[in-house]
Amino acid sequence: MKTRWLVLAAAAALLAPFAAAAESSTSRPTKKPAPTTTCIDCHLALDDPSVTPPAKLFQGDDVHAKAGFTCVFCHGGDGAASDQELAHDKKKGFIGKPAPRDIPQVCGKCHSDAAVMKQFNPSLRVDQLAEYRTSGHGKKLAEGDTHVAQCASCHGAHGILPVKDSRSPVATRHIAETCKRCHGDAALMATYKLPSDVYSKYTKSVHYQARVKGDLSAPTCNSCHGNHGAAPPEVGSVANVCGTCHATFAEQFKVSPHWEAFKELGLPGCVTCHENHEIVRPTEAFLSEGSESRCSSCHEPSSPGGKAAAEMRADLLSLATETQQARQTLERAAEAGMEVSKIRFSLSQADDALTRARASIHRFQVAAVRENAAAGLSVAKSAHQAANRALAERDYRRRGLFVSLALILATIASLLAAIRERERRRSERGVS
Amino acid sequence: MSSSSSDASGFVSRLRAWAVESLGWDDLAHLAAKKEVPIHRYTIYYYLGGMALFLFSVQVATGILLLLYYRPSASEAFESVQYVMADVPFGWLVRSIHSWGANLFVAVIVFHAVSVFFLKAYRRPREMTWVTGAVLLFLALGFGFSGYLLPWNTLAYFATKVGTDVPAQIPGIGHLLSRILRGGSDVTGATLSRFYGIHIAILPALTTVFLGAHLILVQRHGMSIPTKVDRNGKIRAMPFLPDFLLRDSVGWLIAVAVLAALAAFWPWELGVKADPFAPAPAGIRPEWYFLWTFQGLKYLPAKVLGIPGETLGVLLLGAVAGVFVILPFLDRKNSRSWNVVAILALCGMALLTVLSLLPAKASP
Repeated sequence: MKTRWLVLAAAAALLAPFAAAAESSTSRPTKKPAPTTTCIDCHLALDDPSVTPPAKLFQGDDVHAKAGFTCVFCHGGDGAASDQELAHDKKKGFIGKPAPRDIPQVCGKCHSDAAVMKQFNPSLRVDQLAEYRTSGHGKKLAEGDTHVAQCASCHGAHGILPVKDSRSPVATRHIAETCKRCHGDAALMATYKLPSDVYSKYTKSVHYQARVKGDLSAPTCNSCHGNHGAAPPEVGSVANVCGTCHATFAEQFKVSPHWEAFKELGLPGCVTCHENHEIVRPTEAFLSEGSESRCSSCHEPSSPGGKAAAEMRADLLSLATETQQARQTLERAAEAGMEVSKIRFSLSQADDALTRARASIHRFQVAAVRENAAAGLSVAKSAHQAANRALAERDYRRRGLFVSLALILATIASLLAAIRERERRRSERGVS
Repeated sequence: MSSSSSDASGFVSRLRAWAVESLGWDDLAHLAAKKEVPIHRYTIYYYLGGMALFLFSVQVATGILLLLYYRPSASEAFESVQYVMADVPFGWLVRSIHSWGANLFVAVIVFHAVSVFFLKAYRRPREMTWVTGAVLLFLALGFGFSGYLLPWNTLAYFATKVGTDVPAQIPGIGHLLSRILRGGSDVTGATLSRFYGIHIAILPALTTVFLGAHLILVQRHGMSIPTKVDRNGKIRAMPFLPDFLLRDSVGWLIAVAVLAALAAFWPWELGVKADPFAPAPAGIRPEWYFLWTFQGLKYLPAKVLGIPGETLGVLLLGAVAGVFVILPFLDRKNSRSWNVVAILALCGMALLTVLSLLPAKASP
């Protein structure tokens, strides 16, 4: 009997914080409260497609459920009550399904509170709500547009997984597909006069291709647009955004004659030539006059700018062609078993020079490109000559082999003749 | 003219007289003239011993030439072999012949051992000829294993790591043995220096002893005539000098031609310099003659009757090697059952070798 009272007293002590939390949905959660299963039990038992699936999802790997959070932290009500009316009592803070416009506030209740987050994930930022309010989504939501993305649109409402979990819709692998859910919806995007082909364009980009090959450091949507504060980079800040990864290009671009000119013309920096979502691999054709040309859209071929573009293109092509030819010769020598590692190393230096020369395009000065291209060309030519010598050496070896084989065969023939002669003599002696 | 020819013949006579007196030339000439090789349908197998000896001589000659440039340290070994392959005149030829020759040498002595076994040439009184030959086979494998690491490339480095782990499975002394082989707990520059010493000093010294003993015993007992050869009829023979040697020379010249062609068309690859901090590359394999043991050890379960599978495998290999060496003393009656055991063993080894060469299944 005494034991029963002790157990009841302990249970009351344990449940006290949850009763307090249930009383006021704005009260701060404490770390890892003991779970209550009443909400889940009922919602599962109801087998109602509108209320059962969330309960099922919350039962799974939900990050909040794992941290000890219960339904009442977001929905309010009395989690300890087994009666629906009591459990859904508005006096106890029950809000039911939060309206989309309220969701950032519901999430922000904890996620904007450093003291709360410190108990669960001290490294998680607590400015997401503030950031969200600066985003295109946040601004529209504040205006009362409930079709825009809020927290649950990307993270989900129940069964929320940590960003680092590869199954999460906001894991780096899935970000683009998550954004595509809305930004690929032509009807929805039409209402905002936004293009709905950004995802399909992005899939043609070098960034997407790099990610497909397994390089998850290559940018996806939030790398350039931000995540909670998602918004297109402004015209003046494009070079800064691209420059976070392409630092060398950005530095060179900022000291180029184009920097000021683009600002005056209101051109959006990098994307003027490279596009924004469909960022394809740049080639020397960008500098030519054809359909792929970027320069000719502003510079007439006969203008100083057009001529400079042609000169830079010629320098780059010269180095690229020489390097490619040297590599072809080198590979033929390597396939023949020649030791070509030193030549291969030289050629890698020519490759580096080509990369530097291509990067120096962003200064838009012929001399800068020529300096790097000339250095690379000299190395590539030396490597090409060395590869040719390796091929000549291969031929010399094979000729030498055939001469040696001829000598060996002649010697073998002589030996066989001597053996036959000795056999003939021995048989003659045997007969006689 | 006649005066100069008589001077020359006088010089030859004097040289011969000196050789007879100082070197016992007449005894040697008598021995050589007396030595005969039987002629029958299995005579061709007699050439394998001479071929092995010739290839060993090629290894010694090319090995000495490589010694002039090779530098046995982790920082210089790879570069020195690279230098031999790219810059030393005919260095590529010497190194490729050494590497291809090593493989051909092992193949020939394995074939030699198999032919001696099936022709029962080890039967009394030639037991010790077999024993010394079996030891020479293991020494050849030792040459192959120690030489494989010397270029200090990635494949050799990781294969040696696996290979030097094998003796560690021997109960009691295994770990000590592995440490002695490696010169430490891991494969490092110390292992390279050690393997170099083993390759160019210890193994050649042992080989000299056992090869000397083997040749003396072959000379002492002469060529064995297989039991399958009809002894009722008169067995013909040919003089070793010059008839057999001339035929031997034809085989040796063919071997030289094959080695030269392999070196010219498929120079032995050097690969990439070993990086002990890099992860082991896929497809690490030892030389082809160790593939069957490599594959066999993979198939062993983790535990067999409480004994670790690898330990059991290593002990089993040791037992097989022991039986192989003392085979003539076990097969006293030239029993056919030993032939069956040998055929099964050879088929098993061939199957394991083939299995090890099949591409690995992609992990799901």
